[in-house]
Amino acid sequence: MKFVFFHLMPYPYLPDDFDEKYSSMSLTYPNSHFDPEQGHELYHRYLDQLEWAEELGFDGIAVNEHHQTSYGIMPSPNIMAATLARRTSRAQIMVLGNAIPIRDNPIRVAEEIAMLDHLSSGRLASGFVRGIGWEYFAQSINPTRSAERFFEAHDLILKAWTATEPFEWVTRNYEYRYVNIWPRPLQKPYPPIYMAGSGTPDTMRWAAKHRHVYMSVIAPTQSIKGWFNGYRKAAREEFGWEPGPDRFGWVTPTYVGETDKKAIEEARGPIEWYFHKSLKQPPGAGNPPGYVPLESMRQALNRGVRRIPTDNMPIEELIKGGYILVGSAETVAERIATLGQDLGFGTLGVNLTVGSIAENQARENIEAFAKEVMPKVRREMKDTTPEPSGPERAQTRQTQ
Amino acid sequence: MTSFRDATATHEDKQLDTHEGAVHLLRGGAGEPVLYLHGIGAPPGPWNAVHDGLSRQFDLIAPDHPGFGFSDVMDDLDDIDDLVYHYLDLLDRLDLRQNVHLVGVSFGGWLAAELAAHSPDRFASLVLAAPVGIRIPGHLATDIFLMTAKQRDQALFHDPAKIPEVDPADAVAAFQTYKDLTGLARFGWVPFLSDPKLERRLYRVTARTLVLAAEHDAVVPRAVTDRYAAAIAGAGLKVLAGTGHALDAEVPAAFTGAVTEFLSSGQGASAR
Repeated sequence: MKFVFFHLMPYPYLPDDFDEKYSSMSLTYPNSHFDPEQGHELYHRYLDQLEWAEELGFDGIAVNEHHQTSYGIMPSPNIMAATLARRTSRAQIMVLGNAIPIRDNPIRVAEEIAMLDHLSSGRLASGFVRGIGWEYFAQSINPTRSAERFFEAHDLILKAWTATEPFEWVTRNYEYRYVNIWPRPLQKPYPPIYMAGSGTPDTMRWAAKHRHVYMSVIAPTQSIKGWFNGYRKAAREEFGWEPGPDRFGWVTPTYVGETDKKAIEEARGPIEWYFHKSLKQPPGAGNPPGYVPLESMRQALNRGVRRIPTDNMPIEELIKGGYILVGSAETVAERIATLGQDLGFGTLGVNLTVGSIAENQARENIEAFAKEVMPKVRREMKDTTPEPSGPERAQTRQTQ
Repeated sequence: MTSFRDATATHEDKQLDTHEGAVHLLRGGAGEPVLYLHGIGAPPGPWNAVHDGLSRQFDLIAPDHPGFGFSDVMDDLDDIDDLVYHYLDLLDRLDLRQNVHLVGVSFGGWLAAELAAHSPDRFASLVLAAPVGIRIPGHLATDIFLMTAKQRDQALFHDPAKIPEVDPADAVAAFQTYKDLTGLARFGWVPFLSDPKLERRLYRVTARTLVLAAEHDAVVPRAVTDRYAAAIAGAGLKVLAGTGHALDAEVPAAFTGAVTEFLSSGQGASAR
């Protein structure tokens, strides 16, 4: 099992009247509530945690992109990755990911990832995501073009990384007369690609076609199982290959306590903050028009598919549904081993600094996971070597 | 009182193949032709009370915009210029080359203004009802995308009693709403429901023009209707009382009355 320390970098200090006054902490929640002194302290605390995670033996450390929200204060994940690149030396640095359709310039993403690959001596993993609903409002990008821009920006970036002659790229979304990036990436042919998936059949097929690693968003276990199986089926039946566990990642908020009971009580505040407050989008922003292609929407409506709301779900139900991992080290390790077998994923991303968790509580949680859970899982799964990622085994260099 | 869904007049209801895909088209009545361009309040698709009212004295032609109602999504069409050319083709196809009365509501009002500025010779008169389309910083239309369905209805209608009831379990209705909003977003996400170049092109409009503002419009600022009236030579400005932005859906009888009165008063006259 490959263990990834996954950070969202939330800004956890909400005013007491937050619930009465605001429907969401994204897009329109005034940034007067961002205290620069506290924000400054948070950045350094969070980066320390990411660096420490490497010392504790995590295989990967992961950052991601969000805009205009206290859900996560990383509008540029590449800046975070850059600071980590020179302060760590072993762990894979995972940008999960750049929200390419909401960027105006995909070439800039190709350039920055290539630079990061050099700064990290070939330890970079490059994730690509669609961006969340409200971010289409925040960045003024037409959501009806989201899927098209995502797929196209991906193709353009991969071509920019692999081409060795200047080329032209002219479509209705982008026009470049000269694409000729310096530097080219260090890894060959390019850093391993990760996708975030929420079960849209098109995306699943597409990820299977390209053999990219498919990482689930937070969802019930049963849904995720269906998504992973959809990828496998597409890979097998349409594209003629058999994906191993290294093609699948599961990301989940995680809390380890002394006993199951203690863990639940200690995690209740931070976990419920995360699900009840931070995941809430402004009214109408969760699914902007066109973000889900019309045909997918028609099928979902006809099947009567309703995403079960988690914004009032108590921690006990979140555990039961498989949204989160909470319990004693034994419980959590067992659950990971069981789910790892059952769902067939080889990468686990744990969000141990979840929601409004206090600094000392986060430290204990990180340490308990690294020192008690990781070795147990590795023993139980008899699997100590992280699997390689990427279309081919990445050619990496170690720093001296 | 006329309800929006009370509509009985005989009419044609067909899918018309165009260059880019099939257009759903309603046509009824006899007389001078009226091209009615729908907005977002009165949903496109079925024949309704506004069609009924306008077909009493006119040859009413009511298409659904590409990507709205029962018309195909036409993927190549992605901005307002594409829609202008789409409608010029449609008018050619229907052999409506002159003396057309053009009536547009909300998004359809914007489109009507674009058409009348592009091809002034085709149109005898122009009614812009609660139109979006002129871009005034500080006076953008209300963001009806950033709302729940219920909030959107409340923003579109002044009288909550006029909001049509929709069964939340009705998958077909839910899909239709999503499709219409997606259509609107396709053409109006950015620049937001407007064309920065439109206002300075409006001097080209020669049709007799009525700008119809909704008294309690919570979507389009009055500054926009005022600027339309100022930019189009000789345009009249009238406020339709007791209605929100979706004036055709909320007060269909008053709306068709005002439109009919204006169009009839100039009937027979060719474009100036």
